[in-house]
Amino acid sequence: MLSIAAAERSDVGTLLLTRLAGFTAFLHENGYGVSAADSVDVLDVASRTGVLNQAVLRWNLKALLCNRFEEWQRFDALFDAYFLPPNKSLFVRRQPEAGTEDVTTAGSDDRAQESRAAEEQASFDDSNATGGGASREENLSSTDFSGLNQAEQARKVEALMRRLARRLKHLKLRRESRSQRGRRLDLQSTIRQSVASGGTPLRLAWKTRRRVRPRLVLLLDVSRSMNAWSFFYLRLARALCNELADVHCFIFHTRVTSVSEALRDPDPWRAQERLNVLSVGWAGGTRIGECLQDFNREQGARLVHSRTGVIIVSDGYDTGETSLLADALGTLRRRARRMVWFNPLLNQPDFTPVAGGMQTAMPYLDLLAPGADLAAIERVLPQLIESLA
Amino acid sequence: MTSTSKRNADIAGLQGQLESAGYVAEAALAATLLLTLDLGRPLLVEGDAGVGKTEIAKAFATVRSARLIRLQCYEGLDVHAAMYEWNYQRQLLAIKLLEQDDRPLAAKEKDIFSETYLLKRPLLEAISCDESPVLLIDEVDRADEAFEAFLLELLSDFQISIPELGTVDAITRPLVIITSNGTRELSDALRRRCLYQFIEYPDFAKELAIVKIKAPQAEEQLARQVVEFVQQVRRMELQKTPGIAETLDWTAALLRMGITQISSEGSDLIFDTLSALIKTREDHTGFTPEVVARIAATC
Repeated sequence: MLSIAAAERSDVGTLLLTRLAGFTAFLHENGYGVSAADSVDVLDVASRTGVLNQAVLRWNLKALLCNRFEEWQRFDALFDAYFLPPNKSLFVRRQPEAGTEDVTTAGSDDRAQESRAAEEQASFDDSNATGGGASREENLSSTDFSGLNQAEQARKVEALMRRLARRLKHLKLRRESRSQRGRRLDLQSTIRQSVASGGTPLRLAWKTRRRVRPRLVLLLDVSRSMNAWSFFYLRLARALCNELADVHCFIFHTRVTSVSEALRDPDPWRAQERLNVLSVGWAGGTRIGECLQDFNREQGARLVHSRTGVIIVSDGYDTGETSLLADALGTLRRRARRMVWFNPLLNQPDFTPVAGGMQTAMPYLDLLAPGADLAAIERVLPQLIESLA
Repeated sequence: MTSTSKRNADIAGLQGQLESAGYVAEAALAATLLLTLDLGRPLLVEGDAGVGKTEIAKAFATVRSARLIRLQCYEGLDVHAAMYEWNYQRQLLAIKLLEQDDRPLAAKEKDIFSETYLLKRPLLEAISCDESPVLLIDEVDRADEAFEAFLLELLSDFQISIPELGTVDAITRPLVIITSNGTRELSDALRRRCLYQFIEYPDFAKELAIVKIKAPQAEEQLARQVVEFVQQVRRMELQKTPGIAETLDWTAALLRMGITQISSEGSDLIFDTLSALIKTREDHTGFTPEVVARIAATC
């Protein structure tokens, strides 16, 4: 049995300890939400199970260090990469870092924070490179995001989004909660308070309808056909992200990417940098159906619930299969509370929803709104709020 | 080495005990349950509906011959339904009765807010048991975010503060199993505090073992065919993938209809029992008698 106290005395023991403790740092660098405190638990677990018992050690560390399904799926590969001989090079490369540090401070917090931003970008990049699959329609040239920080229009956009956010904050649920005053008597609470006055209800308690902020999920089409509006909508999204906490923003073209974190970055230039990294494929082709299906599979269960309003911004020009789009929209519609589609082409006088994607989508939508510019969105705001309620 | 083999023996032992309690568990799950006992941490179990998340808690309670206390979460679940509530009616009656009493007011008040008038809800119940119970917090994702905060406080300190009474400390620590269906993302704080286990749909061997335990009256051949059929159905793109409960229901339905084997000849009889397996209208429309016959032929 590996006892921590006994192991510290021998060199082999120290090496073993360092290596076990380094595993937490290794996972952290791979995007796991683990901290230095977890290495103590790792040693505790190892001392209980014994380090020679590979299967049990693996299962137990898996249960200990994974927090969610994605991490659960990737764990076995990482465990192999770290502990098993064939990937020795990986271990050697990392060893100096883990070795020079004290066991309990491996992956200390400040270092962790420095590397975190970079990690996130890198992992986004990785998932893009492996998940989306190469496509002839992708646009691999970089996009200039400096337009995102221009002051023109920014103030108007912010004002409009603030108005939308304020209205959304006042949406109310049917569910009630106690409050200082209200329209309905909270009988339970009233009786509870009347105990203090010998059963005479001197003080009344009230109920009022609870406020709720719906979660918003924005799916922005940034394919070539949407080029004229992509920045405009990204700006709207950023203003909205800054106003409301529960907004999640994704861009899609031939694949879907989360940009919420980048948009929320308080430093505008860093936000720009991060968007640059995320925007590979910007203004390329469109595969709405596939993108929505990926979104459903990867984010749907986590993000979309019965209080979620899904807002899709797209012109509906889709090069993918329409049946795929219909399936994906159907699944999304069942999960979400409301589904709104903004189509910038809608204002044009001779517009009919002939684009294949648009026709497929019509039956699933709660609201199809025009949205070529700020004025158009402002006009449709009351309808939007009503449909999100 | 000895500790290694002892641990392995413990795991095998727990697996056996769980099986006799009617739950087929992989070694990985048994190892995690042992670790849960060792570390005293809650266990968060995720997985699709119908893979047997709730059953873990039930079987584990049976194995440890402990009480199972279950808190079913739902939207709007509040402290009063989860932790404690005062029994107002009895308190009011007591006040009327105490009117004749000439004790000082403070003494009366203390009397009225004593444990006699406290209604224990699952969470308070769980920390005030004499023997450590198994506390199952089912479908925690259905409760509001605010409820998670209460839960975190309980899970970190194992104490509940009641303003009128003071702090109630845990007599014994319950073994906490939390299940989630992923309808809402749980907070990182809660996840960090728990051990984690993801349960997948069972493979052929495991599901067969389950069918044999839970439906012993089914013949070996029928059991194999049923499991094979369900495994194939799971591979199809369905809105509601059948879980283990559905497999067992369907087996029962087949037995009730007197079907002893699945083959393409009797597929219309099988078709009639499919409502035990397929649970949405869209999925039903995909299951024509021809599809059923085709799957049945391969079983």
